[in-house]
Amino acid sequence: MTASNEYRFQVNLSGMIQILSNHLYSSPKVFLRELMQNATDAITARTEAEPGFQGEVRVELTGTGEHRTMMVEDNGIGLTEADIHEFLAMIGQSSKRGQQALLDGETSFIGRFGIGLLSCFMVSHEIVMLTQSAKGGPSMEWRGKPDGTYTIRQLETQLSPGTKVYLRCTPDAAHYFETEYVQEALFYYGALLPYPVILHSDDVQHIVNSESPIWLMEPELACGRRAEVFSFGERLLGEKFQDFIPLTTASGRTGGIAFVLPHAVNLNAKRSHRVYLKRMLISEKAENILPEWAFFVKCLIWTDELQPTASREHFYENEKLEDVRFELGDALRRGLADMAESQTERLQKLIRLHALSMKALAVQDQEFYAMIHRWLPFESTRGHRELGELISEGETLYFTTTVDEYRQIHHVASAQSMLVINGGYIYDSDLMAMLPLAVRNVQTERLQPDEVSMSFTDVPPAERNQYYDALRLADSALQRFRCRAEVKGFKPADLPVLFTLSQESSTLRALEKASEESTELFSSVLGSLSSGISSAGYSTLYLNISNPIIQRVLTSPDAQMTPIAIEMLYVNALMMGHYAMNRQELEVLNQGIVRFIDWGLRANTDRKGDA
Amino acid sequence: MKTEMDFEDLMEEAYGLPNGTAKLGMLEEAARVADVNGMEEEAYEARSEIVETATFCGYPMKALIAFSWQLGKFDQQPERYDEETLMWSYKWILGELSSFPEVSRDKMMELLEDFGRRFKSFGYSERSYWYYRFRISMDLGDLEEAGSSYTKFRNMDRDFMSDCEACEQDEIMRYWILVGDDEKVLEAAKPILKGRMSCAEIPHLTLSEILMPLYRLGKIDEADKHQAKGYRMIKGHNDFVQSFAEQMDYLARTNPAKGIDVLEESLVLAMDHEDPFAKMMFYARAAQLLRRWADESPGYRLRLPASFPYEGDPGDLRKLADYFAAHAKSAADKYDQRNGNQHVSSMLSEV
Repeated sequence: MTASNEYRFQVNLSGMIQILSNHLYSSPKVFLRELMQNATDAITARTEAEPGFQGEVRVELTGTGEHRTMMVEDNGIGLTEADIHEFLAMIGQSSKRGQQALLDGETSFIGRFGIGLLSCFMVSHEIVMLTQSAKGGPSMEWRGKPDGTYTIRQLETQLSPGTKVYLRCTPDAAHYFETEYVQEALFYYGALLPYPVILHSDDVQHIVNSESPIWLMEPELACGRRAEVFSFGERLLGEKFQDFIPLTTASGRTGGIAFVLPHAVNLNAKRSHRVYLKRMLISEKAENILPEWAFFVKCLIWTDELQPTASREHFYENEKLEDVRFELGDALRRGLADMAESQTERLQKLIRLHALSMKALAVQDQEFYAMIHRWLPFESTRGHRELGELISEGETLYFTTTVDEYRQIHHVASAQSMLVINGGYIYDSDLMAMLPLAVRNVQTERLQPDEVSMSFTDVPPAERNQYYDALRLADSALQRFRCRAEVKGFKPADLPVLFTLSQESSTLRALEKASEESTELFSSVLGSLSSGISSAGYSTLYLNISNPIIQRVLTSPDAQMTPIAIEMLYVNALMMGHYAMNRQELEVLNQGIVRFIDWGLRANTDRKGDA
Repeated sequence: MKTEMDFEDLMEEAYGLPNGTAKLGMLEEAARVADVNGMEEEAYEARSEIVETATFCGYPMKALIAFSWQLGKFDQQPERYDEETLMWSYKWILGELSSFPEVSRDKMMELLEDFGRRFKSFGYSERSYWYYRFRISMDLGDLEEAGSSYTKFRNMDRDFMSDCEACEQDEIMRYWILVGDDEKVLEAAKPILKGRMSCAEIPHLTLSEILMPLYRLGKIDEADKHQAKGYRMIKGHNDFVQSFAEQMDYLARTNPAKGIDVLEESLVLAMDHEDPFAKMMFYARAAQLLRRWADESPGYRLRLPASFPYEGDPGDLRKLADYFAAHAKSAADKYDQRNGNQHVSSMLSEV
């Protein structure tokens, strides 16, 4: 291509700046991070060329009010005139390809340098950059304005290698130039940098970041320096921690410290881990870098292998990230496994705070489950207990799959000293089902409410015959509720009846209840649905023969009295079980009460009459 | 004791849980507590949550029951409740309705009209009505009717009650799948596959739906890429039982070993699923896959969930395939009878 055929789009810098401030960065404050990142990249580049080179970043604040100025200086590789032209061209290309290209694209060092620099227009109406390349050549000055105009000139004096950027604050952004703010932000972004960051303000000078700890690059060393790790964690993450697990990956290119949160957390809590990319803070709300179940830790993670999005605030969700996530999760799991082996008390403490997280992990990982199972808490007919204790009872562990089922049977089950576990809470029934696979010599069995009846005492046939008439009366009274009666003996004796409901009959009850309240159209739709279920949909009312009142009802059946008594026992059982009643059942309850009052009063009056 | 928790505690605990049966159980408990104590607004609130949770974790019947109750209450006292949320739920209900073969054609049409009338009365765009007419016609196998509803809804304005663009596009793609025009399928899928349209369920669904059309067009490399990515997105979520079926359909032909992984990993999700249509598709594709796998790897013992109600030998893959096929076929018969055509059973012709 000859020169005459070549055209170049005008750089629309003001448009670019619009895009940056409105779409790319979450807040103007990131300009400082971008400057630090540029400085870091420049120092890294120089260190590569001159091994052993000691980098340094200086930030200087001068002036007050509208004249407040910030200078950020590094002694890195610096830019040649050609470099400056290149970065301007890169920006031009980015703007030509549009916003999306800028947001998605992976750019070169120079390109990133340029884009990062532009973020300064969010806080300053002019950027002045003085730079001297370590490769030689004249020192250069670049002055840019947010309308897209800029000048480049060679300086007469020769500066030492490196880059200085000068910003004068806009009135809106003055608070980003205050000493206290800048000091905090520099620590925040650069706490892990391996060279000093020096802040010079009002004639005071000090190093913002203490020397970066050795365990940063070798997390396994952290265990020997617990106090130091805790104080570093508290300063960076703002919480007092009591435990941590070092995170390592095989490549050694990602690592970190997982601080165990000192308080219980909600399963939906935002997972906010702080991540440093090449030792610069990239995100304080990285959610996708650890597996879902790891919500009991807050992590400091450093990596040099993940690809940041253009805003440098998140990572691309790609296979690399998935691998890293898996490895970090694995490191966390190994940390827990080690505790299970040698520091059980520490693990117990952790599980007590974060049982849900541990259960979430155990469900996914049988081996891990086997390791920690004995400390997981469950609700059972023997109270809230750790699984180890429950297993040591040496009985079959029955479990329900819903809170509802548990509620239906736990009275009866505990009276019969059956060991039943409430599996209605998240993960619990899954864990129960898995238990025999994970741990040897443990039996678990899913218990359906109507199976509690298994342990009821059967009434001998001869005796049952004697209740035949009463049962017929009971069945016909209960038929309209799609329920049937059965006579059994069970504990506790003061419980007259027990109502049980299968999955199907439970669905049917819900269908009917909704149908009563709904529109005609929906009622008829629900009606056709219930026709698909009906066959198995009978519930059972167990009459307890060990109970004196039931004895009386059954032994002297009265065609008038028995049906009403049975109906009342039925609605009473519903109330005891906290079931919502439908209209028919409520009516039975109301009429029954009135009738019994009436009978009671009449009996009383009659007796008085006799006297 | 936790079983005695009050309404607020239960709701709070439920909000803290991810979508799934545990959350659903907690919400049902909350609705029950509210019912027993006569707290009607609370009962309504709990049911709103039930409808949403149940819709997205495999319990369309529970969603329908809760919604029916809500609609009744709403009609009695419309000023007391928010109509937008309720009408948005109505769309989910309509979308699931055809999965229940007990609901007759006429009833479905009546519900569609009820839906349309209500949308009109609130001043919403008619686009939603025509769009759901399009979807239901597809479900019923009325492709001609679906085609004309398609033309109609596309030309209407969308509003805040319309389904999102990505979901609509996915349904349009499904139309071309049903019509059997694979080229058109690809064309319709393009904006989704390019990432220009997405939402909470798209491209998750799309990436599995596109596999067979690509396979038929001989674009195996592309299909493999979508298969891997798609499976990664849906793995372990019981909202995607039908997608697992599509994955197995494709893998049975290209990589049965991988298909068996999908089957073993997701069977427990399909078993517990309340949508008989999704379950039918899953069982049908499982049968197909098992037959191919039996040829390739005789003697393989399929890892079945402990609660799977199959008494036979899990090493006899052909028998097991018959078991799955029988289930699928009897379900398909019910749909055919309701629909008055062979639409559903023809989808399973290979089983």
